[in-house]
Amino acid sequence: MPETGKKTPLYAWHQAQGALVVDFGGWDMPLWYKTGAVKEHLAVIEAAGLFDTSHMAVLRLDGPDAFSLLQHCFTKDLTACVGPSAGPLAPGRCVYGAFLTADGHALDDAIVYKTGPEAFMVVVNANMGPVVAAHLEAHRAGRTVRIQDLSARLGKMDLQGPLAGRIIKKVLKDPDRVLTGLPYFSFKGHFDPSAVPEPVFTVDGTPILLSRTGYTGEFGFELFMAPEAAAKVWDMILEAGREFGLIPCGLAARDSLRAGAMLPLSHQDIGHWPFVNHPWSFALPYNAAGNGFTKSFVGDVVLGLAPKADHTVAYVGRDPRKAALHDADGKPAVVVDAQGREIGVVLTSVADMALGLDQGRIVSLSDPNRPAGAKFKGLVCGFIRVNRLLDQGEEVEIRDAKRGLKVQVVRDIRPFRTARKPLKDML
Amino acid sequence: MKELSDLKFPADVRYAADHEWAKIVNGVARVGISDFAQDQLGDITFVELPQVGDTFGKGDEFGTLESTKAVSELIAPLSGEVVAVNEALEDNPALVNGEPYEGGWIIEVRPEDPAEMNDLMDRDAYVEMLKNQS
Repeated sequence: MPETGKKTPLYAWHQAQGALVVDFGGWDMPLWYKTGAVKEHLAVIEAAGLFDTSHMAVLRLDGPDAFSLLQHCFTKDLTACVGPSAGPLAPGRCVYGAFLTADGHALDDAIVYKTGPEAFMVVVNANMGPVVAAHLEAHRAGRTVRIQDLSARLGKMDLQGPLAGRIIKKVLKDPDRVLTGLPYFSFKGHFDPSAVPEPVFTVDGTPILLSRTGYTGEFGFELFMAPEAAAKVWDMILEAGREFGLIPCGLAARDSLRAGAMLPLSHQDIGHWPFVNHPWSFALPYNAAGNGFTKSFVGDVVLGLAPKADHTVAYVGRDPRKAALHDADGKPAVVVDAQGREIGVVLTSVADMALGLDQGRIVSLSDPNRPAGAKFKGLVCGFIRVNRLLDQGEEVEIRDAKRGLKVQVVRDIRPFRTARKPLKDML
Repeated sequence: MKELSDLKFPADVRYAADHEWAKIVNGVARVGISDFAQDQLGDITFVELPQVGDTFGKGDEFGTLESTKAVSELIAPLSGEVVAVNEALEDNPALVNGEPYEGGWIIEVRPEDPAEMNDLMDRDAYVEMLKNQS
């Protein structure tokens, strides 16, 4: 396979380890390593995995009107988005949401970090840096804000899994300080140590931004650093994690873990259709009554589009067999209801290999009280977009060019996810 | 993925261009997929097996392999009636990855025409074909 795509600072490492490297949106990325995607998926459920995510794009916004521009363009209300009491986004906090087009379609999803009183970091998907930057420029309307694309100037990796805390503790300088007061969706430090009052360093003095976030549904961290430091930090974490069963993980495990964790893949589960009627309503600034938004923003027309827009729902099947999303001619896999009517398309179809069925109930390998004798052979799961609201438990068929598979509409997929567990319980 | 030199290609089985192998013992042909094929597919997570008694012509699809990458058809390397399926694959499909020529066999077929075995490649011809593909 010709590999001529963009490369992360860890590309040579992936090659040397015999990873299967594939094209992912123009990037040469590891799909899995020699251990295989199943073991990589299970390592993140039971121990920990390390992912190269340097292909993600990062913007930096600073200036007196940076907040105002993001408040105008991002789907979350940045004055009311942190914690159960809906506090404002404060320095050291980050929040998930999306950027919408004027007609309410998802341009991309993102995490917005408040790095200083007038400074923000915006993490978007691979190759989306220039697109989102241009979108923000287009809506600038005279605001005083500098928008920079840092994508080429950063390395990034995700340490994910229940033992990630014990591993990161070995890698950090002053771990007791850094790992205190670091709740889910908060961060400390910066890849530019002068940018924050309290920088975070690894034991060898590399400045990093350490974020308690991730894309697997499991406990863990995302780390940002200078690209030239990435290989060194990667090696250091793998070495520290060896005794805990840490292994490097590729994009296949990332996809199966995120699907089981109910997380959308941008440009696949969200995209060129109204960003509404989906499992990610927390990304929209609904008021307490759920009948309006707490602010106006670019794309807020979705509120009015909701009654007629398609519905995106999650599903789980009976075994790991999945639908091919597109046939050779590009025709998408479809959803057929019990009456035989074609009602929509399949967005994601992937097997969460930590799951099994026990008397019709989804059980996970990570359930501390899992039924004795339960088998975890993997279950297909993902998202479908259909033209009517489906009830939880309703059975539909996902049908590709080859076969039809019976699946059930569910509100949640993999139980006992660890992402939100208190940090102090994970060290 | 492994280099060709790291893969196993036993000399006592014959290989099809679709990467299945077959080996006749006591008049019954055991069929599986090659080490190259399992390495290409990645982890096998589910095997759709035919029923004992099903008959297939050479080149027919007789089942599928579900892997972390995709779904792949299993193509009959010779014609005949299925006399056994490897039920161990139901609980442990990873046998196809771990031991593709032993515990990871897929079906056993009573060949309609044992001479069809002569159309399959021997080890050297199959390895040569793989070299030319890469």
